[in-house]
Amino acid sequence: MLTLLASCLFSATLSGTPGLDVQPGPGEIGGVEVAYRAAKILTMALEGPLVVDNGVVVVRDGRVAFVGKERDLPASESRVVQDLGDMWLMPGMIDLHTHESGLSLYSGVNDLNDTVFLTNPGLRASSAVTPGNSSSMKAAAAGVTTVLYIPGSGSNMGGQGVLLKTGFDKYEEVEVRNPGSLKLAQAGNPERFAWGVNRSFMNWNTRDTFKRGLAYAKKWIAYENEPEEERGPAPLVDPQWELFRALASGEVQVSTHTQIYQVVLETLTMVRQEFGLDVYIDHGTIGAWRLGGLAEELGVKAIVGPRNVDTPDRGFMNWAGNIEAEGFRGVAAGYQQAGHKWVGFNTDAPVIMDEEFIVQAAMAVHFGFDDTTMDSVRGLTIVPAVAAGIQDKVGSLEVGKHADIIIISGHPADPRSQIAKVLIEGRTVFDSEKSPAALLAK
Amino acid sequence: MQLLKKRFLTPVFALASAAILAAPIFSASLASEDEAEEEPDTYLAVIGGDIYTGTGEVLRSATLLSKNGKIEQIGYDLYLPEGTKELDARGLRVYPGLVALSATTRLSQGTFAAGLDFHEFKPHADNEGICGDCGKDLEVIVPPALDPGEYSTEHLAVEGLKSDFDDSYDPYNGFLVMALGNGITTVQQSNTAIKLRRGRIDDVTMSDKTMTSFSWSGSNPSGKADLRDKFRAATNYLVEFRRWEELVKKDKELKEPSQKGIDSRALEVLQGRSMAKFNANSADDLLGIARLAQTNKFRPVIGGCVEGWIVAEELGRAGAYAIVTPRTRSDRTETLTRESGSSIENAAILHAAGVQVAVVPADTSIDMGGISGRDLLHLPIEAGFAVRGGMSDKAALESITIVPARLLGIDHRVGTLEVGKDADLVLTDGDILHYQTFVQYTVVGGEQVYDKQEEVFYAHIRPRAEVAVDAGEEVTEEVTEEVTPASTEE
Repeated sequence: MLTLLASCLFSATLSGTPGLDVQPGPGEIGGVEVAYRAAKILTMALEGPLVVDNGVVVVRDGRVAFVGKERDLPASESRVVQDLGDMWLMPGMIDLHTHESGLSLYSGVNDLNDTVFLTNPGLRASSAVTPGNSSSMKAAAAGVTTVLYIPGSGSNMGGQGVLLKTGFDKYEEVEVRNPGSLKLAQAGNPERFAWGVNRSFMNWNTRDTFKRGLAYAKKWIAYENEPEEERGPAPLVDPQWELFRALASGEVQVSTHTQIYQVVLETLTMVRQEFGLDVYIDHGTIGAWRLGGLAEELGVKAIVGPRNVDTPDRGFMNWAGNIEAEGFRGVAAGYQQAGHKWVGFNTDAPVIMDEEFIVQAAMAVHFGFDDTTMDSVRGLTIVPAVAAGIQDKVGSLEVGKHADIIIISGHPADPRSQIAKVLIEGRTVFDSEKSPAALLAK
Repeated sequence: MQLLKKRFLTPVFALASAAILAAPIFSASLASEDEAEEEPDTYLAVIGGDIYTGTGEVLRSATLLSKNGKIEQIGYDLYLPEGTKELDARGLRVYPGLVALSATTRLSQGTFAAGLDFHEFKPHADNEGICGDCGKDLEVIVPPALDPGEYSTEHLAVEGLKSDFDDSYDPYNGFLVMALGNGITTVQQSNTAIKLRRGRIDDVTMSDKTMTSFSWSGSNPSGKADLRDKFRAATNYLVEFRRWEELVKKDKELKEPSQKGIDSRALEVLQGRSMAKFNANSADDLLGIARLAQTNKFRPVIGGCVEGWIVAEELGRAGAYAIVTPRTRSDRTETLTRESGSSIENAAILHAAGVQVAVVPADTSIDMGGISGRDLLHLPIEAGFAVRGGMSDKAALESITIVPARLLGIDHRVGTLEVGKDADLVLTDGDILHYQTFVQYTVVGGEQVYDKQEEVFYAHIRPRAEVAVDAGEEVTEEVTEEVTPASTEE
């Protein structure tokens, strides 16, 4: 325990201080403009070309300044050009289900699972963040540049998640948005199978919490809609319910630990249809892909993983009946075949680590997910960005967005593809030529 | 390495095998020794596939002919004897069957196996707090010491090699079929190499007790000193024994040096009857093992080997075998002045330094909880992580075929496709290291034991297109290469 704590502190102080007391490098804020020439640029843009072959990405002040063919790029004297040969460029990846940006249940400290009540919408994961901890740095090295750090699923509402960048060691630099989400957990983990409450009360209580929270938000909306001179006293600020104002306005989403057909149906009908909130599915496995069509219709994104297949025989995990007696079923493929166009991936790190995020995409494709329009790459980048409402900043290589860029030797879903470099906002957070092994070889 | 492993007969086991001998099926196999002449030869021809022999050679659109379970010929325009069964491999690739180390015993024993590991998934090895047990399943069960007095060579000649697993082998269990469906044809169960034969229980044991476990840990200095002493004593004993062997020719009365106090396990290793297996990760321990091995002239097998990249040259000089999980991650220890922690380049650096690298997946069980991509069924994905760290595709394939076969002492039978070796083949619809690839057929001992379209597990995923043959006109299967969307920019 102590050693772990110590190693966390050490890594926070010793590792990853790019740009500290040195001239900003090319592409960084205040640095010169840099153009990256690459064989293939996976822009993952929602509009415009998905892929640019033999193109160029220009980075200025930590933002993407140009994506396209070099012939369309206005000349500049001050620009530095880096030719990356046959390498590919792609946006940094986004994992919307992690518990690794600070101390958590998994490191022996339970900062993330304060299951005080069945629903705890006032608790904040942001207070547990350890910027630049080793897990975050390793995630950055693996190309996962943005994560949603969320409370655990010990209760129905563990609290508020926070959207963070990996790879930096100052909180001001890593925060993308706080609150990042309301973490809702339905069925499964919060259930107490032999004692305490189960699904019927949990659903009642969750619904009750939403009602109370939204009533609180309504009061504030009514107050703010009054002309200023006619306003009465402001409603009492209650930190327990403040989040619901952001939920009601659509600024923040509900990220839902939900899986099993029946439970995901509850997510869709309760959170989306009944309360009209912006919600996305996290996990979404164990037969729930059958709801792909309805989820698509309701605009609910499916961020699936780390269970990425339904197996023929679930053994003691047979929560949902013998749903897939006939064979292995790829979860992502299931959603896709049911008509869902917004399938993304998550790891639930440290259940599996962010270094294995790409394996989620690989397994999706292996088990039947159609990748002809690079949906597996979209699922690692722009789909989670849109789900979390941060597509104006990250998730694709488009002008004005953060220069979170992975330089990789091939298709990102292939475990064999080697990451050469990872940039976050133009700053190099991983360089394979400076890995300990590479340095040792020199 | 020894080829014929002699078995220590415990009284209990003797009874058990006596019971088996009484069973009709074994009477039959015993009888076959005499009737072998009368049984017709069985042939299987795998026709038209690209044969990746595993020795570096690839034969395009070639044919492999198996006779009585052994590879008879690989080449073109082969003569196929009458009655040869044919397997159309056009458009497919043919690889040697994969060899899985430290595999869950569910593979040979089914759902109700005690199982070396039965948990659903392992949290990451970083999290010492709850993962003190990670890698535990890599430990091989320490076999009882061999006592030369108990050998029964006559018995071996009649019965063939047997292991404890013969008694519990379940040739119909679903996990076995899943393993075959993912290209695995040979597995290490505890300390035994088992051929995954489907529907039959003869000749499943390929080697037994090939490794002897030793402990070498920085946290136990006296244990290290003790082990060093044991090996030194065993080395000295062997020197004495050889000298005696020479001298006794002249002086018949000369007394044989006493084996008293000599560690029989260390002796086993030095005599080449078994390989010394260590589990170690820290560079200090690895260095210690390398030096122990060099001093006593044996080749160590090292499981884990996470910091191997730091001392790769030393391990290479010691002729070490490393059993690694390339995606393993552990933090560097900031209090050390040397390099520390994991590196994705570990497997590649070890291989470059001449270490024989075998790959085991992050989870050596079969994950029925739904987390795929890191369990035994996805062995090539783990090898893919070695490529991510700079290993060549060829070495990565070797790390899951011939290298583990060498570790198990069965490289003369499996691990590559060569004439005379067992006809254990995997037919895939693409590069076996590619994540999209599926195994279409598996052949064990010259018998087709798996067909993707005939099993419940994967038949519905990208169903295999029928290979249409019409008057010499071939329509090959859809190529499963990565499809890259064309640029929509123009």
